[in-house]
Amino acid sequence: MGGAYLPDLTLVLPEGILVVTAFLILMTGVFRKSTNPQVQQRFGHVALSGLIVALGALIFYHHPAERWISFEGQLLQDDFVYLGKILILSGSAAVVGISLASMLKEHLLSFEYCALILLATVGMLLMVGANDFLSLFMGLEIQSLSLYVLVALKRDQTIASEAALKYFVLGALATCFYLYGASLMYGFSGSTNFEAIATIIRMESAGNFPLSLFMSLIFIMASFSFKISAVPFHMWTPDVYQGSPTPITAFIAATPKIAAMLVFLRLMLEPFMTLYDEWQSLVAFLSLFSMVLGAFAALRQTDLKRLLAYSAIGQMGYMLLGVVAGTDEGIQAVLIYLTLYLVMIIGTFACLLCLRGKGSYGVQNIEDLAGISTLHPKVSFALAIFMFSLAGIPPLGGFFAKLYIFKAALSAGFFGLAIAGALASVVAAYYYLKIVKVMYFDDAPKVPSASYGQIVVLPLKMALILNACALVTLLFFVFPNPILEIVQRAAFTFSG
Amino acid sequence: MTLSSSQFMSMPLKGNLEEYFNIFIFMAVAFGISLFLVLLSFWRGPKRPDAEKLSAYECGFEAFSDARLKFDVRFYLVAILFIIFDLEIAFLFPWAVSLKSIGLFGFFSMLLFLGTLGIGFVYEWRKGALEWE
Amino acid sequence: MTTTTLIFYILSGVLLSSAVMVVTTKNTVYGVLFLILAFFNAAGLFILAHAEFLAMILIVVYVGAVAVLFLFVVMMVNMETKKSQRMDRRYLLMGIFVGGVLVLELVVVFMSWNTSPEAFELIFAPQDGLSNTHALGALLYTHYALIFQAAGLILLIAMIGAIILTLRQRENVLKQKIGDQLARQAKDSVQMVDISPTSSFRNLESLDDSATPRGRTSRVS
Repeated sequence: MGGAYLPDLTLVLPEGILVVTAFLILMTGVFRKSTNPQVQQRFGHVALSGLIVALGALIFYHHPAERWISFEGQLLQDDFVYLGKILILSGSAAVVGISLASMLKEHLLSFEYCALILLATVGMLLMVGANDFLSLFMGLEIQSLSLYVLVALKRDQTIASEAALKYFVLGALATCFYLYGASLMYGFSGSTNFEAIATIIRMESAGNFPLSLFMSLIFIMASFSFKISAVPFHMWTPDVYQGSPTPITAFIAATPKIAAMLVFLRLMLEPFMTLYDEWQSLVAFLSLFSMVLGAFAALRQTDLKRLLAYSAIGQMGYMLLGVVAGTDEGIQAVLIYLTLYLVMIIGTFACLLCLRGKGSYGVQNIEDLAGISTLHPKVSFALAIFMFSLAGIPPLGGFFAKLYIFKAALSAGFFGLAIAGALASVVAAYYYLKIVKVMYFDDAPKVPSASYGQIVVLPLKMALILNACALVTLLFFVFPNPILEIVQRAAFTFSG
Repeated sequence: MTLSSSQFMSMPLKGNLEEYFNIFIFMAVAFGISLFLVLLSFWRGPKRPDAEKLSAYECGFEAFSDARLKFDVRFYLVAILFIIFDLEIAFLFPWAVSLKSIGLFGFFSMLLFLGTLGIGFVYEWRKGALEWE
Repeated sequence: MTTTTLIFYILSGVLLSSAVMVVTTKNTVYGVLFLILAFFNAAGLFILAHAEFLAMILIVVYVGAVAVLFLFVVMMVNMETKKSQRMDRRYLLMGIFVGGVLVLELVVVFMSWNTSPEAFELIFAPQDGLSNTHALGALLYTHYALIFQAAGLILLIAMIGAIILTLRQRENVLKQKIGDQLARQAKDSVQMVDISPTSSFRNLESLDDSATPRGRTSRVS
C-alpha cells in the first residue's frame, strides 16, 4: 500500500457530482442568506441539473456486461446496479422537479432541502452499488439520516414531528437489526464482502448450516423489510406518509423504496442464494401478508396519503412475489414492476401536488377530489390513468407489471401465492377505482374545505414530468422493448 | 476446522499487559484514597441526625417547584456540534500516526474529509448556530 | 492468564451491572452516570483485547461528548416520574417478551456457535510490530477510503439536521457585533463641545442625538 495506491474513482463519479453540487448549494445558500422565492427556486434548479449531469456521467462511463469493481471490492457496478442507479437518479430528479412549486407554497423550500435530497440520493446510490456490508451500511445511514431530517422539516407542526420521531426511532431499530445481522455474518464468515460470503456459504455442506447464519439472514431480512415496508414491519409507513409534507412523501414513496428493494434483491440473490430453500418461505410470508394487508387496510382510509401508504405496502408485496420465485423470470418481473412503480407513483404525486386548495393547503382527503374532473379535466384524467394502472386494469403499464409477476410465480410453482395475489389485487382495485369515482361522479362540494383541490399549480417542469409518466404508463404495451431490454440485461447479471 | 463455543471460551486472553501496570497502580491508589476518605468521614464524623436538617432552609416556606429546570434546546445544539467535531478529531489520530505509510492518497483522503466537515463548519457559522445572543 | 481473566471478569461484571442500573434506576441523571461507568469498563475490556485506540476513543468520544449530550437531554426533558410509571406497566410485558426473544436468540446462537477458521485470527487486533492506532490508520484512509468519506458525509448531514431542527433565530435580542465594535472610531462617537456657561442644557441633548452610539450593541431585527 504505497504512494501509488489509487482506486478507480470514475466509478463514484455520479456520487461525486452530487456531493459537489450539494456543497455548492450549501455554501451559496448560506452566504446569500436570501429568503427570496426566486433565489430558493434557483437552488432547486441547480440540484436538478446536478442530478441530470450525474445521470449523464453514469451513462457515459458505464461498462456494459461487466462487473466493474473498485475500492477494494467495496463498490461494484454491473448492469443490475446500472439500472438501479438510473432509476434512482431519474426518480430523484423527477421528484425535485415536481416538488419545487409545492414546497414554495408551503414555505418549506430552502437550500437545505435541495442539499439533503442530493445527499439522500448519494446514500441510495451507495446502497445499490454496495458489494460489502460496510459500504451498504454507510449508504443506508446517509440515506436514512437525510430522510429523517426531511420528514421533520415542518418542525412546528405536531403531526410532522410525530411522523419524524416514529420514523427515526423505528428506522434506528431497523438499522440495529441490520448491524446485529451483519456482525453475526462477519463472525461466521470472517468477511464483509458479498462475494466472499457467498463463497463461504457455498462451501458449507447443504442442510447443515449453522444457526448463526440463519439468525444473521433473518436479522438482515427484517431490517430491509422495514425499509421496503413489508408487512410485519410496515407500521411506520402510514404515519410517516401522512405526517410529512406531501413533496417529501413523494420522495420517500419513490426512490428509497426502489433502492431498498434492489438491495434486498441483491442480498437474497448473491450472498444468500445458497440459502434459497430457507429464505423463500420467509419472503413468501412477507409477500402474502403485505398483499393482503395492503388491500384490506386501505379500504377504510379517507386520507389520501395514508391510502397511498397502504397501496405501497401492497405493491411491495407483489414485488416480493417475484423475489420468492427467485428465477431469472422472477427477477425480470421485479425489475419491470419497480420501473413502472416509480413512474406511476411519481405521476400520482405530481397530480396531487399540482392540485391545491386555498392558501398553502395541498389536497388531503379523498373528498377533496370530489368533482374535480369538471374543474381540471387534464389533471384528473392523468390521475385516473395512474389509479387504473396501480389497480392493474388491462392495457396500462401496471397490468403488465402484475402479469409478469404472476407469470413468474406460476412457472416457479407458487400457485397459492399467485392466486392470493390476484385476489388481493381485485380487492385493492376497489379503492383505486373509488378515487376515480369520486373525481368523475361525485359533485363538487357547495362549501369546499380549505384543502379542496380547486387551484392548479402546474409549471412547465411539472407538466413535462406528468406527461412523461402518463405516456410511459399508457404506452408500455405498445413499446415495451426499451424497458424490457435493459431489464433483461440487468437480470442476466445474476444468472450469467 | 471450526470451533465450538466451549473451545472458544477456553481460549486464553492474550496476556502481556505489563505496560498498563502503571495505570493500574494509579487507579488502585485513586480508588483507595477515595474509599479511605469516604470511610473516614463515615466513621469519624460527628453524627447528630435531626429531621430539621433535611427540611427546606431559609425563610420558612416550602419550595414551589423542583430545583431542576428545563434546559434550553441550544445546549443540545452546542453539545451535538461538539460531538461531531470530537469524532473528526478521533479520525485524525490514526492518520497522524500512520501518515508515512499511507502515501499521498491517504493524505488527500483526510483532506477531503476535513473539507467536508469544513463545509459543515462554514455552514453552521454563517447560519449563526455558534452565536449565543 | 489468571490475572487477565480476573480483570476481565471484574470489568465485565461491573459493566453488566451498571448497564442494568442504567435501565432500572428511577433517577435519569444517575442513569447517565451509570452509563459513564459502563463506558469506562468497556474501555477496559478493549484494552484487554489490545485495542487501545478504541479504548481511548470510547473515553474521549463517549464519556467526553456523548455522555454530556445525554445529560443535557435528560435535563431538557421534563421529568415527571409519577406519570411515566403508570405507562411502564403497560409496556413492561411487551418489552420483556421482545427482550426475551432476543436473549433467547443470542443464547441459541451462542450454543451452536461455529466460527470459521478465517474469523478466528480476527478476534484480536493485529500486533505484528505495529501499534493498534498505526494498523488502523494504515487501512482506514486508503483501503477503506470510501467508507471514511461516507462517514464524513454522515457527520455533515448530522450537523445540518441538528441545525435545521433546533436552531431558532431569536428576534429582538441584543447581540455582540465584534466587527462593528472594533471598527468604532473615537471621532465617530465622541464630540468635543465647548460649553459656554451661558448655553442651556437643551442644546446639549440635541448634540447627543446626532452622535448615535453606532455599533456598541445594536438591536437585531
